[in-house]
Amino acid sequence: MIDTLLYGVTIGAILYIFSIGLSITFGTMQIVNFAHGMVYSLGVYLFITFLPWVAGIFPLAMALAVAAMLPIAYLVERFIIRRLYGESLDYAIIATYAVLLIGADVIKYIWGTEPQPVSDPIGIPLVIFGVVIQLYRVVVFLSAIVLFIGLKIFFTRNVIGKVVIAALEDRDGVRALGLDVNKYFSIAFIIGSGLAVLGGVLYSPITTSEPYMGFHILLLAFAVVIVGGMGNLTGTFFSAFALGMVIAITGRLYSSAADTMVFVVMALVLLKDPIFNFFRKLVGKPAIS
Amino acid sequence: MNLSVTQSVFPVGPANRLLVFRDMAIIAASFLVMAIFLPMYWLTDFAIFCILVLSFDLLYGYMGHLSFGHMLYFGAGGYAASLTLLHLAPNPFLAIAVGVVSGALLAAIVGFVVVRTEGAAFALVNLAFNQIGFWLVLSGLQDYTHGEDGLPSTVEAIGFLDFYDTPVAFGFMLICLILVFWLLKSLVSSPFGIMIKSIKENEDRVKFLGYNTLRYKWLTFVIAGTVAAFAGVLYALVKGFVAPGDVSPLENTRIIFSVLIGGAGNLYGAIVGAVAFELITNLLATTIARWEMILGLMLLGLVFWFRKGITGYTYELFLKMGRRAPAAD
Repeated sequence: MIDTLLYGVTIGAILYIFSIGLSITFGTMQIVNFAHGMVYSLGVYLFITFLPWVAGIFPLAMALAVAAMLPIAYLVERFIIRRLYGESLDYAIIATYAVLLIGADVIKYIWGTEPQPVSDPIGIPLVIFGVVIQLYRVVVFLSAIVLFIGLKIFFTRNVIGKVVIAALEDRDGVRALGLDVNKYFSIAFIIGSGLAVLGGVLYSPITTSEPYMGFHILLLAFAVVIVGGMGNLTGTFFSAFALGMVIAITGRLYSSAADTMVFVVMALVLLKDPIFNFFRKLVGKPAIS
Repeated sequence: MNLSVTQSVFPVGPANRLLVFRDMAIIAASFLVMAIFLPMYWLTDFAIFCILVLSFDLLYGYMGHLSFGHMLYFGAGGYAASLTLLHLAPNPFLAIAVGVVSGALLAAIVGFVVVRTEGAAFALVNLAFNQIGFWLVLSGLQDYTHGEDGLPSTVEAIGFLDFYDTPVAFGFMLICLILVFWLLKSLVSSPFGIMIKSIKENEDRVKFLGYNTLRYKWLTFVIAGTVAAFAGVLYALVKGFVAPGDVSPLENTRIIFSVLIGGAGNLYGAIVGAVAFELITNLLATTIARWEMILGLMLLGLVFWFRKGITGYTYELFLKMGRRAPAAD
């Protein structure tokens, strides 16, 4: 029971860290950014490459991987996302999807298709109520909490964060104040991309890395963003943990259905209005649209 | 809206019935001409893929709803047909009937959920459903679908209709393609077609005029899913084999790419795009190792510099030459 709960919060933490960037691009630019999956998987592969170079020091390799991916994220933002801003949504989806495809192929070209395992950097088991749990997972969970609080402070106290939050609400209003919205979006995008790499690296000791890992987590993260509300960062936090729990509990009962359950929850969330209206009709009240 | 480029190039209005027959003859003739130069089993695949892309074009090109989950219906049709052939009777027409009906039912149920979403959410929710279907085929319903191994099936010959005789299969697929083209052509030139094009242009105004757009979107979604399932059935009949790869969400890129390269929003574009894509894959994929890279770069190129597609630019060329272009759409 405890290990299921811990697994749920671990997955939730990873999903949260990954989804922040998606939620920001969704909310500010109304762009579905498939390229986020490219940044994630390429970052993890760079991390795996850096790890032996820095004598296996996990945080150092992680910092290097994040640092290496930031310029790449900037290039994607500058030359793909920004060019498509204000255009039809479909083109943005297709173009960023193309970036994801190219990323997966680059990974296959450089590293091959073999899954890459990473060993647990802490490797200390804890025994709580007679159950053995990995300290590493607790660390992942705690880092998500720290990140949440840190971002909360960033978005309420820092000018950049405040501008991004304001632009999430009303983009034109912020422009009218004479602020260059694009610059702030660039910064927010790069922060989001860095967090995607961070999430991927933290996840790598729990799972194995393969070229198409970006596709997989993207689907889950889209569900998180839709359930939490697009551009709603607090909502993203809670929905990530809720869906992480869904994955863990379903996984315990029927392991191969775990990811599918997430999409069932997402469908229910999308259908909440019709269901709600159905019950209103039952008790004789007019439907709300 | 940039999407409506081809829409404004090809005027909306009821098509002349004779023109539809002329176009059907042109499609048949060009396939027969291609049969001289290309292996016939390639063209069988081309025709099936054309049907799939046509169904997607109805959804994306005409109604403006980009879906990342269209392979679900293709796969549903294919698996339903194969299971029918295996467990009920090896009759191709029974397989077609069961496959198409199950595709339609699936699209009806899924459509009930997805048409309530817009834009990005629509694409993603479809992707999610496709992923669920992929998972079901791969492991959830493994007892029926044989998971990764795929599902082989055989179909018996009825009279001269033998699906393992390449020219006969090719002829049958070509007739199916032409019929589907005729069906969709009639649909998009009908008042219903004008309605779904209006939904693409501005859904709020259509609602404001008092139409229940949800109902039209749902119906279009079901039709698109049904036609895609039909393509899946044909695929299963000809190949005698379906595998989880035929439901894979990753395969949707092929359809989207084809619609874009041909020109979204007109049925000729779908057919030209499907044939162009199949030619590129069949001729290049064997010689170029980094296929996904090329596909990705070409997609980027299409999005940034070649939005009207082959048919869109051809039409512009016609206009520039000062001739009266063939009345398309």
